[in-house]
Amino acid sequence: MSHPTTVAKTTDQGATESRSDSAQQSGERERREPSSIELKGLHKRFGKHTVALDDVDLTIEAGEFFTLLGPSGCGKTTLLRMLAGLEEPDAGHVCIGGQDVTDIPPHKRSVNTVFQSYALFPHLSVRDNLAFGLRMRGDSKKEQRRKVDEVAEFIQLGSLVDRPVDQLSGGQRQRIALARALICEPNVLLLDEPLSALDAGLRGQLQVELQRIQKRLGMTFVFVTHDQDEAMVMSDRIAVLDGGIIQQVGPPNEVYEHPRNAFVARFMGHDNLFAIHASGDDWVDTELGRLHIDPAEQREEQDGWLLVRPETLELNAEVPENYNQLQGKVMERLYRGSRVEYRLEVAGVTMMATASNLGQRLLNVGDQVTVSVCPDDLVRVAS
Amino acid sequence: MVESSRMASRGRAVVGESRHLLFSVAPGATWIVVFLVLPSLYLMAVAFMTNGPYGLPQMPLTLNSFEQLAGFGFLGWSPGNLYTLLRSLWQTFLATVLVVIVAYPIAYYITTCRIKWRAIMLLLVVVPSWTNQVIRTFGWMNLLAPGTPLSDLAQWLGFIPPNMGLYPSNFAVTLGLVYNFLPFMVLPLYAAFEKLDTAQVQAAQDLYASPLRAFWHAVFPQTLPGLLAGTVLVAIPAFGMYVIPELLGGGKGMMLGNLVANQFAGGSNWPLGAAGAILMLIATFIGLFAMRRIGKRLGGGEEVVI
Amino acid sequence: MKKRTLQRGLSAFWWLTLIFLYLPLAVVVFFSFNAANSAARFTGFSLRWYERLLGNEQIISAFWNSMVLAIVSAVLALVIGCLLGYGMYRHRHRKLGWLIVLIYLPIVLPDIVFGISEMAFFVSIHRYTGLLQPGLLTMIISHVTFQIPFVALIVYSRLVGLDPTLFEAAKDLYATPFKRAWHFLLPTIKPALISAFFLSFTLSIDDFVISFFTSGPESATLPIYIWGAIKKGVTPEINAIAALMIGAVAIAALMSLLFNRQGQR
Repeated sequence: MSHPTTVAKTTDQGATESRSDSAQQSGERERREPSSIELKGLHKRFGKHTVALDDVDLTIEAGEFFTLLGPSGCGKTTLLRMLAGLEEPDAGHVCIGGQDVTDIPPHKRSVNTVFQSYALFPHLSVRDNLAFGLRMRGDSKKEQRRKVDEVAEFIQLGSLVDRPVDQLSGGQRQRIALARALICEPNVLLLDEPLSALDAGLRGQLQVELQRIQKRLGMTFVFVTHDQDEAMVMSDRIAVLDGGIIQQVGPPNEVYEHPRNAFVARFMGHDNLFAIHASGDDWVDTELGRLHIDPAEQREEQDGWLLVRPETLELNAEVPENYNQLQGKVMERLYRGSRVEYRLEVAGVTMMATASNLGQRLLNVGDQVTVSVCPDDLVRVAS
Repeated sequence: MVESSRMASRGRAVVGESRHLLFSVAPGATWIVVFLVLPSLYLMAVAFMTNGPYGLPQMPLTLNSFEQLAGFGFLGWSPGNLYTLLRSLWQTFLATVLVVIVAYPIAYYITTCRIKWRAIMLLLVVVPSWTNQVIRTFGWMNLLAPGTPLSDLAQWLGFIPPNMGLYPSNFAVTLGLVYNFLPFMVLPLYAAFEKLDTAQVQAAQDLYASPLRAFWHAVFPQTLPGLLAGTVLVAIPAFGMYVIPELLGGGKGMMLGNLVANQFAGGSNWPLGAAGAILMLIATFIGLFAMRRIGKRLGGGEEVVI
Repeated sequence: MKKRTLQRGLSAFWWLTLIFLYLPLAVVVFFSFNAANSAARFTGFSLRWYERLLGNEQIISAFWNSMVLAIVSAVLALVIGCLLGYGMYRHRHRKLGWLIVLIYLPIVLPDIVFGISEMAFFVSIHRYTGLLQPGLLTMIISHVTFQIPFVALIVYSRLVGLDPTLFEAAKDLYATPFKRAWHFLLPTIKPALISAFFLSFTLSIDDFVISFFTSGPESATLPIYIWGAIKKGVTPEINAIAALMIGAVAIAALMSLLFNRQGQR
């Protein structure tokens, strides 16, 4: 138990020192050696009935911005806490940088966390908060001061450094919490819904900034959120979780455009899902009637769902012959500026359609409309 | 193989947690068990033992001390102990009522003052209770002694015979109790008044013509939890009071606390004293239990923080 | 108009109550400067009672007994109570009902029952084993017993008020268990520890009943000395000691007011 621990500690410290040396020489922030993460058969239950994680296998590449996405209670936070060492799995292994750290306590892992509540120490100033990890790790006073100044400049904290913690705004606290975790130059940075307490404007700004920082440092980021827009904007890859099971892993466009099942589709914000009764080589029978699809979408199972993305629908347009065409009626119009959303009734079923606002004539409520969609844009989704 | 080692480490974690509980909680818990629970249990046992020489308890077990407490002695039944018990109950009741009558307007008045004054006003109410009980009671002895202005006034009004003081007397004990426990009622009542929903009070003033009815329907119910908390804080220690009746009451002002204490201090009869202590404990727990029940029914089941 | 009258009436009642609260204390202080040995007539200003205090060895020794008792018991209670409060916090998700009962027991038990239980216990133990002879040691034990719950509750409520992720942040930032206690936990609850210590100290100084029943012949504290003097009817210096103790309380009250002010700012 104690043997791998000491190994982890020494390798980590050695690496840190050699890096900071080179940083002083070049006078510029160097790129770290990011770590990959491998999770094997992770299982965790709370009490008798609540399964938080059910046999989770997952690989996160070194230097990746990876997001765990899901509704509350899906297990994403439990997974993150296991990476930090704050939660112990009932079964399975956590490997960081190729090393099994399952039994290594959090204070011996080269992993740092940005907490949802920021968790800044109220009894310390901003400067002492930033230096806390360095001080606990045993860095020299001089080294601590140099790194605090460096990170303060990097995150643009400016004059905040000498203020007491309780005088900071939410956005400022968020930056300090981020800086406090980054300053330790961990192999992996964990972020537990760090933006959820901020208002929309600041949130958007920090999303961009976080992504930029990650790219500049080349560090492995594992980010937890329940907001699919946030996940898509920032991530290299997303894992969608539900009920302690990973539903789908992939780059944002893949998860959005080709959700693997109805849960992922709904969670990514898709409303136009239609039940499939029967299917053939290049067709499916749905509530909307028979529709042609790309033969590549052919599946073994007969049922499932058909996903029709609102932005792929064309309204009253001249289309090639192979397009699916349906007759509908405008029930509601939502004007959004850059686009217009229509709620249509097609074959007695509600369907959403989005049109880019290019100055064309807007449809009115009650108008009859021809809806066309290319077979290639229709996606089959498992139940 | 791997799984079994994981299970073992889980087991270690559980053991670690338990050991942690042991190290942190055990010293304090053990201390209270050894130096309070055991002595209390021993005291209860003493109540069932026989009175030996110097008042020390002896075998065999008997209910003799409870008979003595009820007044049965060598010379047949005497009402002395019963009087003491009734007096304790009466003094507790009287003092609690009087404390409420004084504390209620005081607590209300503090909430009507400006916020920056309130802390100081509360402090002014509490500070006297920080001085030692013996000293405070001694102050009242000085005030009520024969020849003092208060005693002279009482003589002139014909309340007491000439050349006597206002103490020792039951009146002095009541006064001492009210003085002693006033802050314990003001604090919870103040907390209740401070939380008062003023919108409700205004609505009540609109609905009911008389301010008295508005008070009764809108204000009073909201202060009930505070009143209850205060009653617990006053009545329970008042029932077991020792110092005040001992100094201000004299022989005819004795309360249960004195009866119990005298059996130990004078070294005369431990079992009898222990039996009295059991009575006091029963009263304490009945009081606490009753207040909890009433408090829960009122819906204001909040913890009292002293 | 009516409201005005009510407010005036309340104000008058407030001042009357203040007089009621402070009159006994004022009388004690006033007559401590009396030239004559009387609590009824003031014959002239004098400091003779204070001079006699300094020459009274019993009083001096009672003062030191009070101090030793208060400081030693407060320190012991701080350590034990702090551990207990932390343990309650750490294991608050477990069923600890028995512990809550145990902690509230010293608070709800009437003083007199508390005192005689301890006395009967200590006397009997001493009779059979020769240990725990009534004296300063037994008094310290009893005082620690009633101080522990207050310390534990103060520490516990401070910890409950903290963001629980702070503990995790400390772990996450490489602090070993010992460093967590030293660099995070203790500094964070320092204000609670200070106020718990002062509360314990005050409770000890204030106590009479429990001290009275657990003391031995050599270990009289100031309140016990005062009590004995009153009971014997020998009271010349009592006003002076009492006045000094009231003065100490007044200073403590002022300090707490100042600290509160600072805390609010």
